[in-house]
Formats: sequence, structure tokens, C-alpha cells
Amino acid sequence: MSVIRLPMLPGSEKIPWKASINGKLISKPIESNAILLDVLRDQVGTLGVKRGCDMGTCGCCSVLIDGKPKLSCLVLAQEVSESEITTVEGLADGHHLHPIQEMFGEYGGSQCGFCTPGFLVVISALLEENPTPNDSEIKNAIEGNLCRCTGYQQIVDSVRAASELLNSGNTVSNSTEPKSNPNPGFDE
Amino acid sequence: MSEKEKKEMVGYRQQPGKIPFSRPGSGGKSPFSEPRDEEMIPESQGGKKNQPWGGHRHDKLITGRVVGKSTSLVDSKWKVTGRAKYGDDIRLPNELIGKIVRSPHHYARVLSIDLSKALDLPGVISIATGDDAKNKFGVLPVTKDEHAMAVDRVRHIGDLVACVAAEDEGTALEAVRLINVEYEILESIHDMKDGLNDSEKPIHDRGEYHIGEANVQKRVFQEFGNIDSMQENAIASHKNNWFFNGVNHAATEPHAVVADWDPSGRLTLYTPQQVPHYVHRALADVLEIPMHQINVHRTFVGGGFGGKSDPFPHEMCASILARKSGRPVRITFDREEVYWINRGRHPSHIEMNLHADEKGRLCGIETDALIDGGAFASFGHVTTYYNGVLHTAPYEIGAFHYTGARVWTNKPASGAMRGHGAVNSRCAVEVGIDDLSEQLQVDPISFRLANLLPPNSATITGFRVTSIGMRECLERVMEESDWKNKFRKMPLGHGIGIGCGFFISGSGLPIHWDPNKFPHATVHLKIDMDGGVTVHTGAADIGQGSDTVVAQSVAEVLGLPLDMIRIKSRETDTSPVDLGSYSSRVTFMNANAAISAAMKIREDLLNATSEITDSPIEKLVIGDRRIFRKDDPAVGVSYLEALHKAQEERGALVASGAYRTPPMGRAHKGAAAGLAPAYSFSAYVAEVKVDVETGQTKVEKVWAAHDCGKALNPLAVKGQIIGSCHMGMGQVLSEEMRYGRTGNLMNTDLLDYKIPSVHEMPEVTPIIVESNDPEGPFGAKEAGEGPLLPILPAVCNAVYDAIGVRSNELPITPDRLYKNIEKKCRKLKIDDPMDLPSPRLEYSELQEILEKRSQEHSIRDRDRRLKSDIKPYHNGALFGMDPTIPPDEVDESWKVTVIPSEEYLESPRLAGSAWLHTERRKRGE
Ligand code: FES
Ligand code: FES
Repeated sequence: MSVIRLPMLPGSEKIPWKASINGKLISKPIESNAILLDVLRDQVGTLGVKRGCDMGTCGCCSVLIDGKPKLSCLVLAQEVSESEITTVEGLADGHHLHPIQEMFGEYGGSQCGFCTPGFLVVISALLEENPTPNDSEIKNAIEGNLCRCTGYQQIVDSVRAASELLNSGNTVSNSTEPKSNPNPGFDE
Repeated sequence: MSEKEKKEMVGYRQQPGKIPFSRPGSGGKSPFSEPRDEEMIPESQGGKKNQPWGGHRHDKLITGRVVGKSTSLVDSKWKVTGRAKYGDDIRLPNELIGKIVRSPHHYARVLSIDLSKALDLPGVISIATGDDAKNKFGVLPVTKDEHAMAVDRVRHIGDLVACVAAEDEGTALEAVRLINVEYEILESIHDMKDGLNDSEKPIHDRGEYHIGEANVQKRVFQEFGNIDSMQENAIASHKNNWFFNGVNHAATEPHAVVADWDPSGRLTLYTPQQVPHYVHRALADVLEIPMHQINVHRTFVGGGFGGKSDPFPHEMCASILARKSGRPVRITFDREEVYWINRGRHPSHIEMNLHADEKGRLCGIETDALIDGGAFASFGHVTTYYNGVLHTAPYEIGAFHYTGARVWTNKPASGAMRGHGAVNSRCAVEVGIDDLSEQLQVDPISFRLANLLPPNSATITGFRVTSIGMRECLERVMEESDWKNKFRKMPLGHGIGIGCGFFISGSGLPIHWDPNKFPHATVHLKIDMDGGVTVHTGAADIGQGSDTVVAQSVAEVLGLPLDMIRIKSRETDTSPVDLGSYSSRVTFMNANAAISAAMKIREDLLNATSEITDSPIEKLVIGDRRIFRKDDPAVGVSYLEALHKAQEERGALVASGAYRTPPMGRAHKGAAAGLAPAYSFSAYVAEVKVDVETGQTKVEKVWAAHDCGKALNPLAVKGQIIGSCHMGMGQVLSEEMRYGRTGNLMNTDLLDYKIPSVHEMPEVTPIIVESNDPEGPFGAKEAGEGPLLPILPAVCNAVYDAIGVRSNELPITPDRLYKNIEKKCRKLKIDDPMDLPSPRLEYSELQEILEKRSQEHSIRDRDRRLKSDIKPYHNGALFGMDPTIPPDEVDESWKVTVIPSEEYLESPRLAGSAWLHTERRKRGE
């Protein structure tokens, strides 16, 4: 039996590293052989980036590197020093969700939600590049992401709806707005 | 309150009292009470919702609020922002990383474990081995056969031997490498057929209950009905020997666990579990501490499908390491380890025999299922039954013969996986019916429609079937898929096929029954002055949306928007015991419990309103955050006012509701396996394209009708249907756990274990059929597992329709199919597979008989659904027996047997040969 993950042997050499992660400049020393996924999860604390396989097969670890979707489990952290990295945590604008985040909820794009962060960053890049993708463009964009729950159909639905919302010019409302009043008026 | 708001409040005649104090932060996105949604209020209550299948006991609770409307999951915002915390996302200060030493051998005795080098490694804090926890555990109390780590023996590659906690992952992995284990290799078993024979050193020892000296973990024999004459009466018979490869749940989240002993000496275990309650019990057994000293915290679960429903050894390991080291320990699996823990669907040899008589009735089913349990029992006891008993419906049958056996082999353990135990044998039955119909020259849908059990009937084994929407499912898919113009009419390589399913909606018996009268599900509600409802439930939301369904049920009864409901379902410290997310029991049982808790609060609110408005309770209805007189809607109070009135003198309103199944079923041994308070039904049609030159199959379209009783959340039901198609498609076309010649599992990663990607997914048209179950919450039944069953046979039958070739091994990979195509070509003496004939159908006179019968039955079924004074209907009536009495009580030739006869044992089938052994206690040794 083999252990797939290469151990980062204790005491391996540390190098300085910095990157802009979700718009925030982070600089810390990392091991020279550190994988981006590990750095993001264990050192930066962006736990929204998920580990499903560690070998580039599931897409759960997708992040945007300078706007392009990449599998962070296959990227050496030091390769992307000085880059701009966006994780799922960086998609929303404060308390206004990105349209694809909102629509994932509404159209059932997320069930257990473990694959969701990966899908969301990949789709946000797609919508950035092509705000009105057709079904086959959507499918091509998410072909590297596995979802075990939804059967993808509702994910594709969500992307369509998000594209409509984006192009309608409307935005998603602030989630901290007051919610239902338990003592409502009675409108005759 | 602003002037504008005050103006808008004109016409708000709360009579007579008004809340005197201003409401902090009030306003909100919906300041006004909405009128009741008449479209959602049932006819029986004066609303506009059609009830073709009659009323329901929960009708009067419907406020038209959320139930039946597509609702996004209440936790979806957490998931889409990356804030949802799964197993490995729990990071506690000062944590250690745990890693597991796993066996490199299939079967071996552990002679010694040398920890010295590992202990010397700086950064290693603690190490544990089997000596640290000798108590056994297992999900079923009757078959506890697992240890936290090997005690004496390892039983499969990847079995746990020891575990290490260290400061960081690198150190932990290095320590694992430095632990030296000395093994004595034992002779291992890989072919499940070998498990049936006596062996030197069976993988487990069941003591006096051990079956022979073999590796048979469980065996079942069942005979019901007219066994002796089924073959005589048959004018068509089908026989097929199937092999189903094992499949894994392949949830995207690998297992992970964090154990933390707090300063007061209590253990909190953070784990993505489907069944926290059983882990809770198992931890207490293994750690030898009382249950109240443990808090099991269910994290978000990144997909379960049965793969996270056993108590697991790594959960024990983390707890032991954390106890030893005095610090929190986190263990996370890599993908490979997920395959070592497995619990996937059993690899199975299934022999299926079906018989049809001259009237086109199913006069007999004979099934023999040998299933490969791998190294541990897990849920296997139940799986062994399910492989047989779950195909005694939806068809009325003349005889049922089942022999099943589950054997131990030196593989990672099989267990429960979506559609538990029913999937493989269901596939075999449905493909068999396709073949029988072909022999009889009738349409396979007509054949099914003429052989269905009616509503409110009993199956041949005595299961109580209440609602059944099978007929409607079949009719809907037939219509929507344009079946009549496609079946047996399409060109070579293009085919269409049908498959049906039947599944339990919750298991009638709880796993831990002594027997007891504890409820299966309990829900607590608490409402304080703010008006928000806190719901405590132990139901494990694993992505299926159980939190949402419970919230919806409460919101519906109390007339509240969903944002006023908050679900607390994570911790055993605060959640009432729930048996967990398995057997598709959660919606049925938890929503029922939630409704009964909410009914108590509802009563409090109605009483308070009645007091304030001086109106009789019968005149009051609940609308959107408002309780008012039905005859004069202007007279009423807001929800908050009623609540505050009800709170006078007693403070927060609290209520508890529970659900327990009614007494059901017959008395024979094993009668309880497969008993459920309700059953779901489904029918799918799949359209495929098969490339005859390569054997490649592509599923193009699926029409999927599922009877879920009532869709409380149609969005989630559709999601379950489409997701089930995905998983079933994997099993039928591409997924398999491949074992090499020497028994090694060869594809322990998602590159070689092929789950369908977006490109392989067909276009699925989900069709929801609502049969309105009398005992289900608002009429609902399950939708989580049943929808997986029909996709496998539908695809198999469609492949046959496309090229006239049947497969008997799943998955139907191109190489396997191509071999069968070649074989067929040789048989027909055809050189080019492109010249293969497509199957065609010419009706025999039986077709008309079947159509007539199904018309009569359709009337019979409607009557049995709508009339209140119906007589009992026992399986057997179609064969001329008195429907009102169980046939075995009037006819001696109608058998009910659970022990094989001497005669049978002279030439048993494969799994049946497990009965050649005698249990130790009966051997008088
Ligand atoms: S974790 Fe990177 S692709 Fe699976
Ligand atoms: S939602 Fe569970 S894996 Fe995609």
C-alpha cells in the first residue's frame, strides 16, 4: 500500500512567500515544496478550498490564479508567489453574494455543498469571460469538477439563472437586511 | 414606527388588544401579512388544491406557507460562501495530526509492533495500538465485530493496526513509516464462493452461532406461496446469472474526524456522520465511559450515501489519541483510505429466475444472492435480507423463493449504500421482466401494469403497503417518453428501456431494539419573546435537505416564513436522539415528529388568540404570521401578540414531538427486515445510444417518475432524482471496485474509479408523483434512495432494445459489451456487427388480456384509495385466493417457510449452499 500524499518532511527548507489572497496581501514563510492547497487551508485559513482527492481529479480545490481556474492541489505554492488568488471566500462583495452563489441556493446547485466552492470559482471565471454561456459552454467549463450529489443538471440551471441575473443589471441584496417581522401589519 | 409605516398600518384591526411596546428593529422585508395561498390549501379545507387521492390527516394544518413549494436549502448560504465546516475544517487550537498505520497484507496475525523508533521521533506525541481499546463495536448490536485497531489479526489490506498523533502531518507520516509491525501471513480469501466452504481460520468467530467452520456471516432462506406449482404453471421462464461488481459511495468529502477532550473530561467528537447516535453508543463501549460524557458534533457532511453511517475505527482512534496526548487530534483520510474503509455496495452473484403463467401473471420469483461482505459485518445482516425481500413488490406474485448468504472475505468491508441491498436484485428482476415480456410477446409496461399490487394491501411476505403510485409512475413515463412509438421500433444502436423500483421509507424496527418503545425520531421546539423558532432535532442533514424539511414542516404549521426558523441539529448534547440518516427515514419520521411538536405550539397560539379575540377556536385559522377568524379575517392578532399572550406566566413555549412506527408485519423469522411505515415507488424510461462497433453506451435521456407521496420540497426531490440517476448511471456503465488476480484493490482513486462527469449525464426529466401517504408527513414518503433503483435496469433494457444483446455483469463497460456483441455475431453468423438485427415486437393475444386486466385494476385501485370501507387485500388474490385472509391460513399448499427442506439441500443453489453447514451450537460439540 502506498501513501499518495508526499510527506512534507519535517525541517524542509522555508522560503518567503507572498500573494494577494482575496484582495488581501499575505506574506509568510512556507516550505519550498509546499502545495498551494495546503498553504491555503493550513496557513492562510481559507478553509472554503476543499480537498477531495489531492490528485487533480475532483476539482474541489479549484481557485482562481490571476483570474484563471486552477487546481490548487497540483500547484506548488512557490510557483504562484506574487499572484492574485481568489477562493470561494472572495466571491461575495461584502454581504452581497455573487449571483452564482445566490442562484446555487435557489436552483439546487448545491446539495452536500462539498464540491460547491470548486464549482463556484470555476463558474465565476466563466461568467467573467462569457456572461451569456450556452449549455455546452457551461458543461465544458465544469467538466473538471465532480459532483456526487446533484447530477449536475441543477448546477447548469443555476449557471443559466446567474447569467440572467448578471445581465439584468440587478444585484443580490444585502443578506443583513432585516428579515420577516413577527408582528406584521395586516394589509386589507 | 415611522409615519409612513403607521399609515400603512391603517386597516390593521387587531382586536381587541394591540402590542403596546414598539418592536425593536421591526420592519423587515415583509412588513405585511400575506393572504393565505389558496392554491396550496387543500380542497378538504375549502382551498383550491386538488386532492385526487383524497384528504389527509394533516390537511387542517396546512397554512399555504412553504410545504410543496420549491425551497432552497436553509443552509445553502453557508455552503456557497465556503463558511460551511466539514470534518477537516474543524481546526482547534493546539491540535495534533493523527495518521493511521494500515495493514499491507490481506490477512495476517499481528505478532509484534515496534514503536520505539517512532516514539523517538521529535514531534510525535502519542501512539495507540489495538491494546489500547479491546472492546468490539459495530453498527448492528447483533454483529459487533470491529476493533479500533487490530487485536490479534488484520483482515484486509488497509485494516487499521496502529495510529499516531504528532505536531504536524509530515512528522505523523514519518512516524507511521517508522513503526515496525511483524506479521504472520494467513491464507486469505478473495472469491466470495470460497467463503461458503469450511476454512482453517475463518475471518471471524461467531462462537456458538458460527455457521459450520465457514466464512458465512449471515444466511437467509425464505419460501412463500405456491412454490410447488410455479414451474408447472409457467409458460415462460427467465433465468440469468448476474455478477454485480462492488461500488463505492465516492462522496466528495473524504472521511475526517476531530476528537477533543475538554478540561472537564468530556469528549467532543466532530465528525461528518450520518448516524451520530450509533457513534455515540460505540464510543461509550470502546472508551469505557458513559454516554453522557460524550458529545458527538456532526459537522457538515460532504456526501454520505451510506458511506458515513457506520461508527468507524478512525473515530475511535482520534478519541484514544486525544485522550492519551491531552490535545485535540484531527484525522483526515486521503482518497485511498476512503476505499479501505469502503462500506460500498456488495459485489454480488445473483441468480434470478422468474416465471409467468398463461394469464401473464408472475407466478414465481426465485432468487439466490451470494453477497461479498468483505472483512466486517457492518449492516450486512440487513443487506442479506434486503436482497430478497425488497423485490416482493410492487408486483403481485404467486410464489417467492429466496436464498441469500453474505460471506466474509479479505476485502474492505461492504455495507450500506444508497438503495441498500435492493439495487442489484431489483436490476435482475426488472431485466427479467423485460425478457419474460419478450417471450410472451407483450409490452413490458403493459405486463407491469397488469400485475401491480393495489393500495392498502399486503405483500407476499406480509409487508403493509399503504399508498402506491406505481401505476401513475408507469403511465406518466410511458406518455412523456413517447414509449409507444419508440419501443422495439428504433434503428440498430438506438434503444429505450423501462425499469421500476420499490423502496422502504424508513425502517420499521429501530436497530437498537431490546425491544423498546422509544420513538424513532424526536423534535423539540422552543419559542421565546423574539418569535423565532428554535428547532432541536438529531436528524443528520447530509446534503439531502433534512434541516430544510424539518424547518418547512414547522413553518407550515405555524404559518411562519422560513427565516424565522432556526435548526439546531448538530450536537447530541442538545439534540434529542434520532436514529440517523439511513433507510430513507428522515423525512418520514422527523417531519412527522416536527409536525406533532408544532401542533402543540399551534394549540397554545390558538388558545391565546381565542382568548384575546373572544372567538371560538374552531373559527380560527393561521395565516402568514397572523391568526384570524376565517369568517372575518379582519378579526385576529399577529403571531407575536398571540405568542406573548401564550407566554404569560410560563415564559418560552416549548414542545416535544415524537414519531414511532405503528405495529406491523408478520411473525416469521426475519419478518421485520424490510418492514416500513410506507414505501416509495418509481418507474424510469431511459433512452440510449450504443455504438455496436465499440460497445460504448451513452445514455441520452431519462424520464424519471418517482412516487414520493408528496413533495414537501420539490426542488430537493428533483435534486434527489437527478442525483440518483447520476449514481446509478455510474454503477451501470462505469463504476466498479476492481480487484486484481491476487485480490488487490486496483483503483483506489477517482481517476480509475470512474464516476460520471457532466458530459456523461443524460438529460433527466424528473416527474414527481404524489400518492398522498396516509401516515406520511403531509402525505410524504422518501425520495433519497428509491430513485436510484430503476435507472440500472432501465439502461440495461434500453441497451437490449438498441442492439439485442443482454449483459449479465455490471458495469456494462465497452469491453464487456463488445465481447457480448461478438458472441452474438458468432451465434448469428454475422460478420459485421452493424448487421445485427434490432429486436422487434409483435403482440401475442396475451397483450389484449393484460390491457384489459390493467384497466380493471386501475378502477380497483382507485376504489381502494378513495373508499373508506375497504376490505383487506393480501397478495395471492390475483391467483384466485380470498383476498381478505392471508392465503397460508386457508390453503396448505401456500407456504411460509424460513428453513430449507432436506429436499432442497440435496441440490441447493449457490448461496443456498450456506445452509449445508450446521451452526456450532446445534452440532452438539
Ligand atoms: S483535491 Fe484537487 S482536484 Fe481533487
Ligand atoms: S453537492 Fe455534494 S458533491 Fe456536489
